[in-house]
Amino acid sequence: MAALDGLRGFAVAAVLLFHAGHLSGGFLGVDLFFVLSGFLITGLLLGEGGGRGRIALAAFWSRRARRLLPALVCVAVVTVVGTWAWGSADQLRFALDDLPWVGAQAVNWHYITEQIGYWNASDTRVFAHLWSIGVEWQFYLAWPLVVAVAARGRRGERIVAALAGAGALVSLVLTVELGAAVDTTRAYEGTDTRAAALLLGALVATAPVRNLARRVPRRAADLVCLALACGLAVAWAMTEGEKAPLLFQGGLFLHSVTAAVLIVLMAQVPGTRAARIAGSRLPRGLGQLSYSLYLWHWPVYLLLLPRLSTLGDRGATAVAIGVSVVAAAVTRRYVEDPVRFRAGWARGRRGLLAMTAVAVAGAVLWAAVPEPVSGAGTVDVDQLR
Amino acid sequence: MNNKHTSRSRSPRRPARHALGAATAAAALGLALAGCGEQGSGTKDEGKSKTTSTGTKVLWLGDSIAGAEAPALGAALKAGGVEFKDSSSDGGGTVVDSGEKITRMISGDTWKQLTKDIDAFRPTVVAYQVTTYDWGSKDQQRAAYEKVVDTAERAGAKVVFVPSPPIKIDGFYKQHEAQMRTAPGVAAEVAGKSGGAAAFFDASQVWGTDASAGKAQRAPDGIHNCQQGAAAFAKWFTGKLGEQERFEPASVDTWAQKSWTGDERYSKLRCAA
Repeated sequence: MAALDGLRGFAVAAVLLFHAGHLSGGFLGVDLFFVLSGFLITGLLLGEGGGRGRIALAAFWSRRARRLLPALVCVAVVTVVGTWAWGSADQLRFALDDLPWVGAQAVNWHYITEQIGYWNASDTRVFAHLWSIGVEWQFYLAWPLVVAVAARGRRGERIVAALAGAGALVSLVLTVELGAAVDTTRAYEGTDTRAAALLLGALVATAPVRNLARRVPRRAADLVCLALACGLAVAWAMTEGEKAPLLFQGGLFLHSVTAAVLIVLMAQVPGTRAARIAGSRLPRGLGQLSYSLYLWHWPVYLLLLPRLSTLGDRGATAVAIGVSVVAAAVTRRYVEDPVRFRAGWARGRRGLLAMTAVAVAGAVLWAAVPEPVSGAGTVDVDQLR
Repeated sequence: MNNKHTSRSRSPRRPARHALGAATAAAALGLALAGCGEQGSGTKDEGKSKTTSTGTKVLWLGDSIAGAEAPALGAALKAGGVEFKDSSSDGGGTVVDSGEKITRMISGDTWKQLTKDIDAFRPTVVAYQVTTYDWGSKDQQRAAYEKVVDTAERAGAKVVFVPSPPIKIDGFYKQHEAQMRTAPGVAAEVAGKSGGAAAFFDASQVWGTDASAGKAQRAPDGIHNCQQGAAAFAKWFTGKLGEQERFEPASVDTWAQKSWTGDERYSKLRCAA
């Protein structure tokens, strides 16, 4: 749906600006991604369950893998080479440390144990942004199982709605509890805590909520959408970074609820102004690039921005965003789309072979790239005497 | 590629090849590789020490600032025949319950861990670096420090209190700055009245009192130290402890440039920047 693609475009733009230091609450774009994912995935699963009577889980996971893995593997491999060539010794060290966790779709838990937030260490890790990809993957593994079981029978969607709602509330309680710590990485990057956004998206994808939304008159929906969109914009502009205490005291949850209601109204009420704006060319185009753009932007920023200081803050940001967009467009055209639409080389055995070859290249690279020795020459013994 | 990185082989720690044959997708491959464990951190021991044991065993407590000092301190003490256990905590470590939820949680964890460490490690010296979470009133600070002394004494160990280095006071610390300032004085007072069960080593001799001065040797974050600062602290502390416990500190040549300098936390602190 064009409008939801457009919302993705806004979300990725917010994240890009946040990471460039120009939008203090732009990280909330990731939360919007989560809500959208929960909504879309649950909608697909329920649609399949309603149409065929059962959900083919293996086929679902296979489609998710085809959609998400090729670009991720390519970006990861190129990023390691780029970090080897242009990154600092620390960045290379952590890239090699983090890469297996990226491949295992569990890098968020790795970063939690590393207390990446406590050390403010994101800019030493070229894969720091992939925590959210890990969260999504883990959700994609678990939630379809729940839906496949719960959606059976006449009251299936009601049960799914109840489970999603209850799960979101449990997740909120966990966020409040874990967010009270000095290191907020656990609350910020945990799959259980961020499940609130995914589950709220799932909740609004169920028939009871969709039917409710469908009954809202368009004019009223326009007004509500305007208020909700303004709410999101204010949150993105005003929130003071990922450690703002209010985030973990219900702030993230409130953002997710706002996004979920906006999404379901845009999806269910025909012709809303919000849907028309979100579905316009620029946000929609950005949204269609959003996955690859998200994958590329952080390593591009880390490796490129320090070399662009002569351009000034805004100039450097513009160039880094431009490079990220080009890289994303190339990835979409030559990797994502061929695999997704089963182009000749990406079909059947050849597709599997190509995928395996890139993954093996990544593994070989990981084993072959020499790990830098940190710390050599950092202590001057003469100063100690 | 990037020739500025010196390197060492990682192959002995890499059973990944066994996984490769079966890998058909990146996720499965990544999972297998993740199972291979951590990359070398460069912090492994330099081999068994041939130094004669002094019989002194130091348990090191504090927050992440103490943690950034620990790699050098451990190397220096071990080189001198002193056993060392780092029990500092990133984002915690305080023994003081100021009444706030956060310090109640942290101090509860610290006391539990201290009990375990005393049972398992049997220290002869419990060294506590005052943390940046030692909030609360003077009475609360005093009660906590006296409890440390009593606990150690019951385990047959002496206590050494060390003040926290000067740090950049950011928004997080601002509201507790006044309480943080009183903590070292209270610790010194408790040590002074302990009848020899505790000592206070004044670390301002190493760091000075101004966080922005070169002497404070703060990392780019203004709070922790990098390798040179850790080494300076370790030399000073082992010297002071050696005087008290009657052992000869090891020469800096034997430990100051060893593998502890590659500890991961210095990379997180952007010490090479």
